[in-house]
Amino acid sequence: MNYFPDEVIEHVFDFVTSHKDRNSISLVCKSWFKIERYSRQNVFIGNCYSISPERLLRRFPCFKSLTLKGKPHFADFNLVPHGWGGFVQPWIEALARSRVGLEELRLKRMVVTDEGLELLSRSFVNFKSLVLVSCEGFSTDGLASIASNCRHLRDLDLQENEIDDHRGQWLSCFPETYTSLVTLNFACLEGETNLVALERLVARSPNLRSLKLNRAVPLDALARLMACAPQIVDLGVGSYEDEQDSESCLKLQAAIRKCTSLRSLSGFLEAAPHCLSAFHPVCHNLTSLNLSYAAEIHGSHLIKLIEHCKKLQRLWILDSIGDKGLEVVASTCKELQELRVFPTDLHGGGNTAVTEDGLVAISAGCPKLHSILYFCQQMTNAALITVARNCPNFIRFRLCILEPHKPDHVTSQPLDEGFGAIVQACKNLKRLSVSGLLTDQVFLYIGMFATQLEMLSIAFAGDTDKGMLYVLNGCKKMRKLEIRDSPFGDAALLADVNKYETMRSLWMSSCEVTLGGCKRLARKAPWLNVEIINENDNNRMEENGYEGRQKVDNKLYLYRTVVGTRVDAPPFVWIL
Amino acid sequence: MEKGGLGLEITELRLGLPGTEKMMKKRGFTEMIMTSSGSNSDQCESGVVSSGGDVEKVNESPVAKSQVVGWPPVCSYRRKNSCKEVSTTKVGLGYVKVSMDGVPYLRKMDLGSSQGYDDLAFALDKLFSFHGIGVALKDGDNCEYVTIYEDKDGDWMLAGDVPWGMFIESCKRLRIMKRSDATGFGLQPRGADE
Repeated sequence: MNYFPDEVIEHVFDFVTSHKDRNSISLVCKSWFKIERYSRQNVFIGNCYSISPERLLRRFPCFKSLTLKGKPHFADFNLVPHGWGGFVQPWIEALARSRVGLEELRLKRMVVTDEGLELLSRSFVNFKSLVLVSCEGFSTDGLASIASNCRHLRDLDLQENEIDDHRGQWLSCFPETYTSLVTLNFACLEGETNLVALERLVARSPNLRSLKLNRAVPLDALARLMACAPQIVDLGVGSYEDEQDSESCLKLQAAIRKCTSLRSLSGFLEAAPHCLSAFHPVCHNLTSLNLSYAAEIHGSHLIKLIEHCKKLQRLWILDSIGDKGLEVVASTCKELQELRVFPTDLHGGGNTAVTEDGLVAISAGCPKLHSILYFCQQMTNAALITVARNCPNFIRFRLCILEPHKPDHVTSQPLDEGFGAIVQACKNLKRLSVSGLLTDQVFLYIGMFATQLEMLSIAFAGDTDKGMLYVLNGCKKMRKLEIRDSPFGDAALLADVNKYETMRSLWMSSCEVTLGGCKRLARKAPWLNVEIINENDNNRMEENGYEGRQKVDNKLYLYRTVVGTRVDAPPFVWIL
Repeated sequence: MEKGGLGLEITELRLGLPGTEKMMKKRGFTEMIMTSSGSNSDQCESGVVSSGGDVEKVNESPVAKSQVVGWPPVCSYRRKNSCKEVSTTKVGLGYVKVSMDGVPYLRKMDLGSSQGYDDLAFALDKLFSFHGIGVALKDGDNCEYVTIYEDKDGDWMLAGDVPWGMFIESCKRLRIMKRSDATGFGLQPRGADE
């Protein structure tokens, strides 16, 4: 290969797109490192504190797309206090100062501001795509800047963000001459929407493929929108309340029938129970269905809809569908690859929740299933063993039994054997979440068999440090380990400090680690940032004489970094 | 709210129709929970709501477990937008649905995050971006909207009469209704000063 001119090698590299592969290429030799550097288009940074924007720009001067992730995963569950970090501002400022021609920015769990969005909108002439997932700190004013200034915007995709809705006119900030919209997702906006501006925008966007509305878009508006965008592929219905006005319903049904390209349906944030029948005509083409926010819709209506969805590959649903409903899914959706079943009632009170029977039915009926997230009230080892046998192809397996420490409800045994069967059968398993009553034994199995495992979530599980050690020693590809409320302490934490260099991050909260142990770790591994998130009285722990042995009631979050201690940590975060 | 200094027992008489025996009803619900395993879940749920205190004694562990932060691992966005956080074991606190006449969508808000009726008024104003609700709560007779709530017995009551603590304990959902529609709606009388 070294006899070819650089341009040829670069052309070959163009076909290599995955980050992992490009990282591998860059390690082959100096010449490849250099060629790869200058030709990398998409940069992925899984932890924004692992590197600085300056170093990013030094290494990759020509990238067009940047993905950044900020807060740790458990921030989704309110375990990370407000103000912890993940600020995107320094990144936008540094990129704006440089000459990089940024076209796409994807942020997850980061703090974004209106000022930042404004700077972004004015700094990159060819900016095309903004995707914000689980972010916060900005308002519709920031969206107005993006709409006003980004002449070539294609995608504005806002997923599950906390946005301060000023009910302004951000939608009317898209110029009348602007016609390049492809994706518009504002489902997470809480306030009223300028329907006139929205309809005009959709009407002048012939390339619009994905439209996800918020709950303030009523039925008649939905009908008009779909009538002027029959080319739509991905639709998020905002609100679909019972309408006395049947004319709107008929108009909607007529419009839906024309949407022959529709493949993905979601939303139904406020939905009347009977609304789904309007969508039956398009069901046979659907590959993705997300009804997980439609708490008002009864299981029977869900089932009637799903019976028509023979091509479904992805299904997100509430447990109100019940085991019977899952049996219908199993017999209808033979192409199913990903299933998520969310709880309607967080404290396990409903009768309609799903059980192990539903899970077994799915595993038996859907041969292509590779990803599952399943909330349920009860489970058995026998069921998990059956699931493992039926479905050895799982890549992601997340099971959440709502009550912590709950054993096999038939035998009263821990669920070690069940999860053990899963990791043994599923040789490609990359992500696992365990729950229920579990001893160190399950971690022995995980360490032994889950050779490809990259992300593991543990809660209320295990007996001794051995559990955590099995995992750290056995799972060579582990990248993210997150543990809460489990009896793992300093011995496990400190056993193999170098392990953490091979991982992106470790989270431990309400475990048995002590402040002294964390300090020892920080001393041994200066290339780690060891953070203690301390929400209680900040000074107590240091003042009293037991500080070395004091348990970290709070949270430990450590991650590898090449840029040392971060400077933006709030007072309640101690970086050791 | 000058009633702040009085004990709850006195004000309890003001809830619902005069003459209903609230205390006996509470015991009735508790009994229902203890005997109904897998029976009508609606009954069970409302029973749990209305006799929150009693249920805690009957069935201690689910309460403790449900108060674990961040468990079950459902992300906060999803919690706010779809899951039933109201009723079951949290005593009165949690998200209630709020609807406003003329607005095509329902909202949810966390009563527990407000400190009193003033706070609630402010929060409601913000929810619907409408600056009349707060006035309605405080001023009573002078504005276009009234704020009413459905209590744990299913009765609709005018918001603002009972002490705050009692209100959040019994409020299941809120509705901001046009005053003109309110007469003839069947609002429970405020309870004569007995």
